[in-house]
Amino acid sequence: MSWLFGSKQEKKETPVAPAGQAGFDANQISDISSILKSNTLDPTKLHPLAGLDKDIEYLDLDEEKLTSLEGAGNGLLPSRGWTDDLCYGTGTVYVLGLGLGGIRGLNEGLKNLPQGRVDPVTNQLRPVPFKLKLNTVLNQVTKFGPHMGNNAGVLAIMYNLIDSSLDNIRNKHDDLNSLAAGFLSGALFRSSKGLKPMGYSAGAMTLVAAAWCGLKRVIN
Amino acid sequence: MSTPEADHSRDPCPIVILSDFGGAFSMGAIGGSIWHGIKGFRNSPYGERRIGAISAIKARAPVVGGNFGTWGGLFSFYDCSIKAIRKREDAWNAILAGFCVGGSLAIRGGPKHTFNSAVTCACVLAVFEGVGMMFQRYMAWANKPVAMPLPEQQAGPAPLGA
Repeated sequence: MSWLFGSKQEKKETPVAPAGQAGFDANQISDISSILKSNTLDPTKLHPLAGLDKDIEYLDLDEEKLTSLEGAGNGLLPSRGWTDDLCYGTGTVYVLGLGLGGIRGLNEGLKNLPQGRVDPVTNQLRPVPFKLKLNTVLNQVTKFGPHMGNNAGVLAIMYNLIDSSLDNIRNKHDDLNSLAAGFLSGALFRSSKGLKPMGYSAGAMTLVAAAWCGLKRVIN
Repeated sequence: MSTPEADHSRDPCPIVILSDFGGAFSMGAIGGSIWHGIKGFRNSPYGERRIGAISAIKARAPVVGGNFGTWGGLFSFYDCSIKAIRKREDAWNAILAGFCVGGSLAIRGGPKHTFNSAVTCACVLAVFEGVGMMFQRYMAWANKPVAMPLPEQQAGPAPLGA
């Protein structure tokens, strides 16, 4: 069953190098930079083209690079670009919407539980089976949860796409972009319902974007 | 933890679930708008094609996105949980996660339906993993290191009898 639960982790003993063998005393080393800067590894003796007379440089992998846009990096998570923003933003909002809608559905289901019927023969209240109650609640949860989650997720996709586009057009990431993206996505979301709902939705989304900007300020 | 096959191109585990929810939802919603836009356009009578496409997108694309998102997010959730329990990363993780996802999504259809769905999902994931492994092996075979060509013989003393 080791393929299922994983094998036991074996402790590996790290052999301690005797002093002097590796060119330094292992017991006197406190951190890595003292090894690299010690006399045994004099960078000036190496070829000058290797550029080793500089300080220690670390490997900088390209795909791990954070976004270099001005004003970016004040979010809750580090971002590597617009795909990260889109995925994390949409995912968070979608899960939040799903959860909130699910809670609302739970509430509705518990409020509208089926009542037991009075038996006409014995005149006693017949209780409703548990399965029926569970089914009612689950029906309400799966009705409200995905509905709210889907709407919230679509709004988040539009917001993030517009926000990233504005960022790249204006070459900076600030609150103005967020507000504009909120306004545009809200307007687009209700664009087929007429001007008035469009205005309401745009205003509400602008407020949400403003709240998000304020939250970022408070946290940082 | 010796997991040489660990995938370092993805974010660390608990947080990547959110990213997978979002990525799968976006993929489903954007792909669904293209799919249902074309479908709504083609299925509408002349003169109402544009509005037909828009209403089809509005009605169906978020649902497709939601289905994709739930699937992807649940899969990522189970994948991370199984990784945390087994403390290793291999193809079995994805297959077990697929089994759990298939079962979870069909849990309301009764035990038989749940089990069938779980097995189907696990099989699909097993095929994916198998194809991925085959592809990986093929790439490794196609890009295998080639020995350096031998250097030209130094013009030394001519061999005897030449």
